[in-house]
Amino acid sequence: MSGAVLRRSTLADRATGLVPFVAIILAWVIAPYLADYPSYVLPSIGQVAERTWTGLSDGSLLEHVLGSLYRLAIGFVVGNAIAIPLGIAIASNRHVADLLRPLLTFLQSIAGIAWVPLAIIWFGIGMGAVVFVIANTIFFSAIYNTVVGVESIPNILYRAVRSQGARGWQVFTELVLPGALVQIILGLRTSMAYGWRALVAGEMIAGTNGLGYMTVEAVQWYQTDTIIMGMIVIGLLWLILDRLLFVSLERATVARWGLIQR
Amino acid sequence: MGQARPDAPALSPQSVAWRLGRRGARIAKGALGLVLFFVAWQVSVPLVGLEPYFYPSPIDVWHAFVDLLAKGILPVYLADSVGRYLAGVGLGTVIGVAAGLGIGLVRPLARMLSPLINFLFAIVEVAWIPIFVIWWGYGLTTILVALVYVVFFPLLYNTLLGVRTVPQVYVNAVRSLGASRLQVLTQVILPAALPNIIAGFRVGAGFAFRGLIFAEIVAAKSGIGYLIFEAAAHHQTARTIVGMIVMGLLWLFLDNFYLKPFERATVERWGQTTAAERRE
Repeated sequence: MSGAVLRRSTLADRATGLVPFVAIILAWVIAPYLADYPSYVLPSIGQVAERTWTGLSDGSLLEHVLGSLYRLAIGFVVGNAIAIPLGIAIASNRHVADLLRPLLTFLQSIAGIAWVPLAIIWFGIGMGAVVFVIANTIFFSAIYNTVVGVESIPNILYRAVRSQGARGWQVFTELVLPGALVQIILGLRTSMAYGWRALVAGEMIAGTNGLGYMTVEAVQWYQTDTIIMGMIVIGLLWLILDRLLFVSLERATVARWGLIQR
Repeated sequence: MGQARPDAPALSPQSVAWRLGRRGARIAKGALGLVLFFVAWQVSVPLVGLEPYFYPSPIDVWHAFVDLLAKGILPVYLADSVGRYLAGVGLGTVIGVAAGLGIGLVRPLARMLSPLINFLFAIVEVAWIPIFVIWWGYGLTTILVALVYVVFFPLLYNTLLGVRTVPQVYVNAVRSLGASRLQVLTQVILPAALPNIIAGFRVGAGFAFRGLIFAEIVAAKSGIGYLIFEAAAHHQTARTIVGMIVMGLLWLFLDNFYLKPFERATVERWGQTTAAERRE
């Protein structure tokens, strides 16, 4: 449907899409000739390229990237592995759901970033605190989505499945799981968006390596070239994660089942 | 998923009473859940036997709350945070919608700028804060720019999407009835794009709230984020938890009393609902 309106991007479209990037790079190159400012305010594109080259060749950039991705992966897996089963269990029982819903809503509204100071007290600066904050952020986002997913299954379907003779476990595998799956899968992407922010923010405050740590550490020494490199890497990594992982996951599952409207 | 449940009871007085009763029971149970949580927390403190700075009890948190109120710290910080939030979200919304409409109405421009917008959107606001600090130092400007940035992109993105998905037939139809370009904008494009704009606003407002807390942790000398961070640095953990709870309540308050009613009021007023009603 939407394909007709937002037509597929052609090769020409992609080429025009490059124009603003080229314009920005040109402006960046010309800027020092037009205005007089210290290079720590905005280093030249050559400095950033050089910095990136050093980072790549001595392996320090890769180390930060892998460190960040490693923490993100642990936080993502741990957070979801606890949240999804727990969410299903909570939502399957109406009384438990009623009991816990306001508490969950409240805990979810305390943004992950606000847990960072407490995480530092509990785990000390470093890996533990950052992973805790990511897992925590992803947990509350995922559990919320799972509960909503299970609760969005219409009652009539339960009756239909039961009247066909399904009992207990079968209701779970035939109805609850597939019924909630759409919301859970869509929730994975949202929770990753929050988790990604929590990662960068957590590393900035409580990290000992990683992309967030690298950029915030550079502020102290006015190494703006490192900061800009970090920002570009953060942007590219997110695009890769979001487009390659989640968009294709959605395409392979939810969109294929015809359950998503764009 | 948003459709009404087909088995919802018909609207008779009994069913309304039944629903209210059910709602009351739900609220009571939810309150019970919260009470149980705090009781369990309080009971666990002597059992765990950790230092109060490591694991404070709810009573410690309450004392810290009363203390912060009595010293007048909390009201000032809360006002600072809310003020920054409103200013940042307001400014970001205006700029985002204006840019979205401006770019969206010129199709070649929209096509040209989309990749850049996607890329800038992907550099999360958190990652901008270090360079903002270099440019503007620790303080209000950095926080405000970060907030505007967070709100700007979801709004720009969604406004663009909304404007670009308006079927050209509608525009042609209204034009052929003699509408001016301005009328097309206010009568067709804005109402059609509004659900998207509102959706973008809610996303932006949510991210902005988290962004505010982070920006205050890094770059402020007052505010709820500063309270949470600074108290923890001095091992006044009960104060940190007060800050976290106030922050959660503030978000729930904003979301339930401003964002959701705003969404309902605007979408129902200008959105698809009225269009459908008028046709009848």
